[in-house]
Amino acid sequence: MSLKAFKRALWVYHLNTGSCNGCDIEILAVLTPRYDVERFGIMLVGSPRHADVLLVTGPVVKQMVSRVKRIYEQTPDPKLVVVVGSCGIEGGVFYESYSLAGPVDQIIPVDVYVPGCPPRPEAIIHGVVMAWVKLEKLAKQEVA
Amino acid sequence: MTLIVESGYEFWNPIIWLIAFAVVMVIVYFFRRRGEEKYKKGEEQAQIFLCGEEVPGAEQRQVRGGNAYWGFFETLKEYYDVIVRPHTGIVNDYVVWFIAVVAISAIILFVVELVG
Repeated sequence: MSLKAFKRALWVYHLNTGSCNGCDIEILAVLTPRYDVERFGIMLVGSPRHADVLLVTGPVVKQMVSRVKRIYEQTPDPKLVVVVGSCGIEGGVFYESYSLAGPVDQIIPVDVYVPGCPPRPEAIIHGVVMAWVKLEKLAKQEVA
Repeated sequence: MTLIVESGYEFWNPIIWLIAFAVVMVIVYFFRRRGEEKYKKGEEQAQIFLCGEEVPGAEQRQVRGGNAYWGFFETLKEYYDVIVRPHTGIVNDYVVWFIAVVAISAIILFVVELVG
């Protein structure tokens, strides 16, 4: 993969919309010395206003709907959404639960799905890289 | 005798202050230019990020003067917890405290008078 249009480091904001924390722990594992994604320029940031990618874990519970939409809106363009874990993709073990407003893609547009319960760190890294490739295409379109 | 310390440098020279101000403004401008230019003005992207919460009106998000003393109160928390507890705001409680203190003081004075 050669990066030509999007030359900056990829800043990622992690958003938990009701996860059991399994996926969140795997995201933390991605940052540990064993996987160390920061060496690739992928960094977790504390505000969506600095982020290029939203990393969403968990099904969206009803109380999180407005927050998820607001955080998505606050992320500067071009932006991408990566859903990590089965819950965010189709509800997982919380499927059809009374407290769910639905999978993530019913609330905000999703670009990359990383299935698993929880997904392995390698899968999360692969998902983020796929988002990076798509962001590269978006950046090229903007340049053109 | 009045002692005046002279450093030999005119730190209060207004020209130096103007140059310093200009340098600071150039640095500020440099960082500002590196910011995101294409954000949507007047929409959520221009709002404050409060972990996804709705941003309250300007009149509701003031930092009170008391917040400046947070560290002070936090450090002396054990003292304040004890002191604040008797301050119930009920007049009856304050009258009971007053009578108790007067009674104890009277007893002490009476004992001191007897011993003396």
